[in-house]
Amino acid sequence: MAVLGSSLQRSNPGPRPSRVRSALVRRIVLAVLVIVALALLTVSFRSPTSGYLHDAQSYGSDALRPFQVAAVRVARPFRDAYNYVDSLARAKSRNAKLEQMVRDYRGQALLNASAVQQNNDLKKLLQFEAGPTYPQDFRAVNTSVISFPSGSFTQQIVIDAGSSQGIHLNTPVVSADGLVGKVTQLGHTTSVVTLLTDPDSAVPARDLKTHVSGLIRHGQGGTLILDRVSKDQVVNKGDWIITRGTVDRRYPDEYPYGIPIGRVVAVGTSDIASFLTVQVQPVANLDSIDAVAALVPKHPRAKP
Amino acid sequence: MTIADGFKAAALLFVAAIAQVSIFSQLRVYGGVPQVVLVTLVGVALLRGAVAGAIAGFFAGLVVDTATLGQLGLTSLVLTVSGYWIGRYGETTGRDRGHAPFLSVAVVTFLYAFGILLVTFMLGERAPAGPEMRSLLPTIVMNLVLTAPVYALVRILLRPRERADYATEVQLLG
Repeated sequence: MAVLGSSLQRSNPGPRPSRVRSALVRRIVLAVLVIVALALLTVSFRSPTSGYLHDAQSYGSDALRPFQVAAVRVARPFRDAYNYVDSLARAKSRNAKLEQMVRDYRGQALLNASAVQQNNDLKKLLQFEAGPTYPQDFRAVNTSVISFPSGSFTQQIVIDAGSSQGIHLNTPVVSADGLVGKVTQLGHTTSVVTLLTDPDSAVPARDLKTHVSGLIRHGQGGTLILDRVSKDQVVNKGDWIITRGTVDRRYPDEYPYGIPIGRVVAVGTSDIASFLTVQVQPVANLDSIDAVAALVPKHPRAKP
Repeated sequence: MTIADGFKAAALLFVAAIAQVSIFSQLRVYGGVPQVVLVTLVGVALLRGAVAGAIAGFFAGLVVDTATLGQLGLTSLVLTVSGYWIGRYGETTGRDRGHAPFLSVAVVTFLYAFGILLVTFMLGERAPAGPEMRSLLPTIVMNLVLTAPVYALVRILLRPRERADYATEVQLLG
């Protein structure tokens, strides 16, 4: 009883077991990294095109550029070898098709040359004032593609040229075949180009033959849709679709007139739809682009 | 994890991230893209644990986001959590299991896609789940093909830890 009644001091707890400590450290590290990532995400989301973080990211991208260029160069021989074998396998059928196309285009070229001459004469007579025309009034900044961000919901590429080469936001970007997209993020020596197949892309366009206008948007499976074409308009399969260019000077278009976008592969309609469904196959191979040209105006015009 | 291991892991993930954005992102098969950076992260996290996995994920994500001028922090956030989770799996259930890298890659590919989708959606950006889910199976298959060579390379550079370094018991905290 005397023992029970006496006050007994508890012994001091020893140091925490190492397992508990390591678990604590582990959780602290995770929490800190998640918080830093969330902070970066918040700041970059609030100011995606300006601010200290954007500048730091731009400098970081510049620093990584040589490594990206080196990686692309290392991979290029393998890609070239694959493309060579692939093209050899399809060479015969393509040759016959191309010969037929050359015959068609030769006749078309003669007609076009005559039309261009007539057009120039009429412009002189009318003292017609026009905006910059493609490609004469643009300087091509030829550059290579250095990265291809993955992900199903963004269609973008990173090119090896930026503001220091005269590129600015919304600069149109073309390949040897046709329109590719426009610059949507700008760094000092790199830029992000949003492709035509991106869900956010919309390009005012027209049918070269029937002059029907619409908006080029992304479609299913890497194709494009010429949207906003009313049912009473005529669009034919095989027609060329080109950029429409500026229609009203108060609202200058980002794309100059006449850049080829693609060819109509299907035209459909339904009773409930308000517009025609015009499916367009892009002429530029947007899935594997090695090099592009950013179109910088030779004589930038003052904004109205 | 020693400092030398840290440098090796950083170099490995840096190369993987650059290869990812410059080469592998272009290799689309049925909509799927091989994710070499994710497979490398699985190797590092399985061999070096949760803390190293989380740090490696953060670093790799930062390189990817910087190189692509993308939303800074987005890939870092998802890869940090992925690296931590794989690391914990490697420290506990997955240790010494031959199928651990393959299982981790398959599961983390799904979680990574879902994580990116979720964060993008929460940011109010367009995040259509359909194309992402359709491309998931080809992506998993390609990642599994990459797993054996990449994991073997990571194992050569970061030798597996001694058995004594692993957790030997489960302890309730509280």
